[in-house]
Amino acid sequence: MSKPNFIIALAGNANVGKSVIFNQLTGLHQHIGNWPGKTVEKAEGTLHYKGYTIDFVDLPGIYSLSTFSMEELVSREYIATEKPDLVINVVDASLLERNLFFTLQLLELEAPLVVALNQIDMAKKKGIVIDSKKAEQILGVPVVPTVAVSGKGITEMLDIAIEVIQKNRATSPLKPRYGKELEDKIEALTEQLEGVDLKYPARWVALKLLEDDNEVKNDVTKLDPKLVKIAQKFRTALEDVHGHSCPTVVTSERYHLANQITMQIEEITKPVKTPMREKLHTVTTHKIFGYPILFATVIGVFIAIFSFGDFASALLGDFFFGLKPAFDSVLGTGIVGELVWGGIIEGIVGGITVALPYIVPFYFILYLFEDSGYLSRIAFLMDNLMHKMGLHGKAFIPVMLSFGCNVPGCLGCRIMETTRERLLTAFVVTLVPCAATSVIILGLVGNFVGIEWALALYVINLIIIFVLGRIAFKALPGEPTELIMEMSAYRAPHLTTVLQQTWFRLKEFIIMAFPLIIAGSFVIKLAEIANLLEPIANLSSPLTVTWLGLPAVTGIALIFGVLRKELTLIMLASLFGTTNFALVMTPAQMIVFTLVVMLYIPCVATIGALVKEFGWKKALLITVIEILLALLVGGIAFRLLTI
Amino acid sequence: MELPLTMLKNGETGLITTTDIRSGGKDFCQARARKGWKKHFMTEMCVKRLTDLGLTPGTEIKVIKSAPFNGPLEVCVRGSTLAIGRGMAKRILVDVKR
Repeated sequence: MSKPNFIIALAGNANVGKSVIFNQLTGLHQHIGNWPGKTVEKAEGTLHYKGYTIDFVDLPGIYSLSTFSMEELVSREYIATEKPDLVINVVDASLLERNLFFTLQLLELEAPLVVALNQIDMAKKKGIVIDSKKAEQILGVPVVPTVAVSGKGITEMLDIAIEVIQKNRATSPLKPRYGKELEDKIEALTEQLEGVDLKYPARWVALKLLEDDNEVKNDVTKLDPKLVKIAQKFRTALEDVHGHSCPTVVTSERYHLANQITMQIEEITKPVKTPMREKLHTVTTHKIFGYPILFATVIGVFIAIFSFGDFASALLGDFFFGLKPAFDSVLGTGIVGELVWGGIIEGIVGGITVALPYIVPFYFILYLFEDSGYLSRIAFLMDNLMHKMGLHGKAFIPVMLSFGCNVPGCLGCRIMETTRERLLTAFVVTLVPCAATSVIILGLVGNFVGIEWALALYVINLIIIFVLGRIAFKALPGEPTELIMEMSAYRAPHLTTVLQQTWFRLKEFIIMAFPLIIAGSFVIKLAEIANLLEPIANLSSPLTVTWLGLPAVTGIALIFGVLRKELTLIMLASLFGTTNFALVMTPAQMIVFTLVVMLYIPCVATIGALVKEFGWKKALLITVIEILLALLVGGIAFRLLTI
Repeated sequence: MELPLTMLKNGETGLITTTDIRSGGKDFCQARARKGWKKHFMTEMCVKRLTDLGLTPGTEIKVIKSAPFNGPLEVCVRGSTLAIGRGMAKRILVDVKR
């Protein structure tokens, strides 16, 4: 007898251990993608349990179901329209009030609910004891205490979830009711809404109309514009009584209810002692100690990653190129062999020798930091600096990533809340010199012109980033947002979750970047075999020779740089037939060349990431802007340096 | 006494009176807008986010510290620690006993 398949969604605030529970449940049977048409991540996974096949959907971590961020919108639409069989609301036991505020909204959405009271061990350490039986009575839905990191309570939670779905367990979910003035208006509006064809429950729509929710307002206007007018009247009436805007009134009332429930089920005793993690928090966000710790950490991480990456990359490279003679003996050194080796295999090898040694430790450390809570402290300390380029503290993280590789930087822009902020950050991110660009800055300018010039180039790059960031900040329509971020308590990172995250990110990187790098190598190899490279170099000579004052062959090198930027240097060496660039280029030419490489077109994998996150148009726009910028800056530098 | 959140000393506690400067009355608002004070209003979106995180009127808020160089404020609200950008913190009014 086959049992039916279920869909269970996991919902809850950020930092409540939701993704740990998700990983405990689904292990490696996960699929991470984007919500259709949105740059919001969707994680799905499957679990086979007691003969049931259960699909889990890990909704983004959010604090409310309004429309502040795309995450909130996606979540509420999913719950209301896709109607999962059950929603498991993961709740942080040590921050019950704010978490219940979200639970109340799930109840209002009339989602079938089970509450996982997570991190009860942490709560106990903080001196918070919760009566889960009483919570169950009040909320009218099952409440299961869990400790996700150790897997405690997870099977109980699953069993209860299945019971609820199979209707073997009676629930009578709490219907949140508010103060009289507000309640009267909600009821009056709900009555009007009955019979109107809505995708959300009527009472919920009534509440959202009072909260002045644009999304819901637009939906209702299409059906019955009169209702929106009534809601507007009610809002004004409530604002007159309470003296606050109506959305604030509704939120206050909801928090008031959450507070009342919390008081009934929570008992606070004195915490044992100031825990280690609080001391750690104080030191890492300290106005004097915070910054040295931050810089030491970031620099330490980069040194560690690059020394490991160099070593592993060389090892892998030797291994693959050691295979070439064997390969030649099979396919020969004719056109076919050259095309397959140079076009396809070198692309793959290039991808592997770059991706694995650098990206893997990179992601690993990133998720280690994220899971432990250090990332939010970094954002806290860097907020002011990021403001100078029109962004806020959180943007420091993708920018920092980009110094390693622009691809994770672009994908990391998802942590910004609004589309506007995401695009701005992505634009800044693609201007950051990645590891490959640094190879050129240090290898060409640093080696042959002088280290002070290499540093000057970094400074110029930073200035350009700040200036362009500001311009983009002013030019982009929409409202800027500021930093509002929770700094959740430090905790020991959950290693399995971190490893899994790293693995899924790596997979994402490979799927996105490899085909592009391989296809790119193939096309260029084809052009090389067909002897098209020289005509292209000649064709681009008005730009490279006349405008930028560079040798004509640099045109070819720059084309290769689109694949991976360090290829420009490798190509330049093979085109000139020497690695002593001082013989073939003047210092000014080297500086101009490096400037152009630094700024022009993001590499093909980065463009791929931009397309994935923002669509063709915006990716193209950013690319074109950066090509023009590179030409402009390069041309100016050429003229300044040759005066 | 009613003060912007940024005026509180480290470790000081107050009760939020408003996160939404616009609710100071319509005339007040328009007068300010005429004087080009537009940037002193919080966007609706930010007000919503702040209240969703628990910064509703009447809530106790404690300033723990602020990041150096006019950085964001670290505050404690309803048991959770939040970082709030300074520009926004300026527009949160709190009632403090001094």
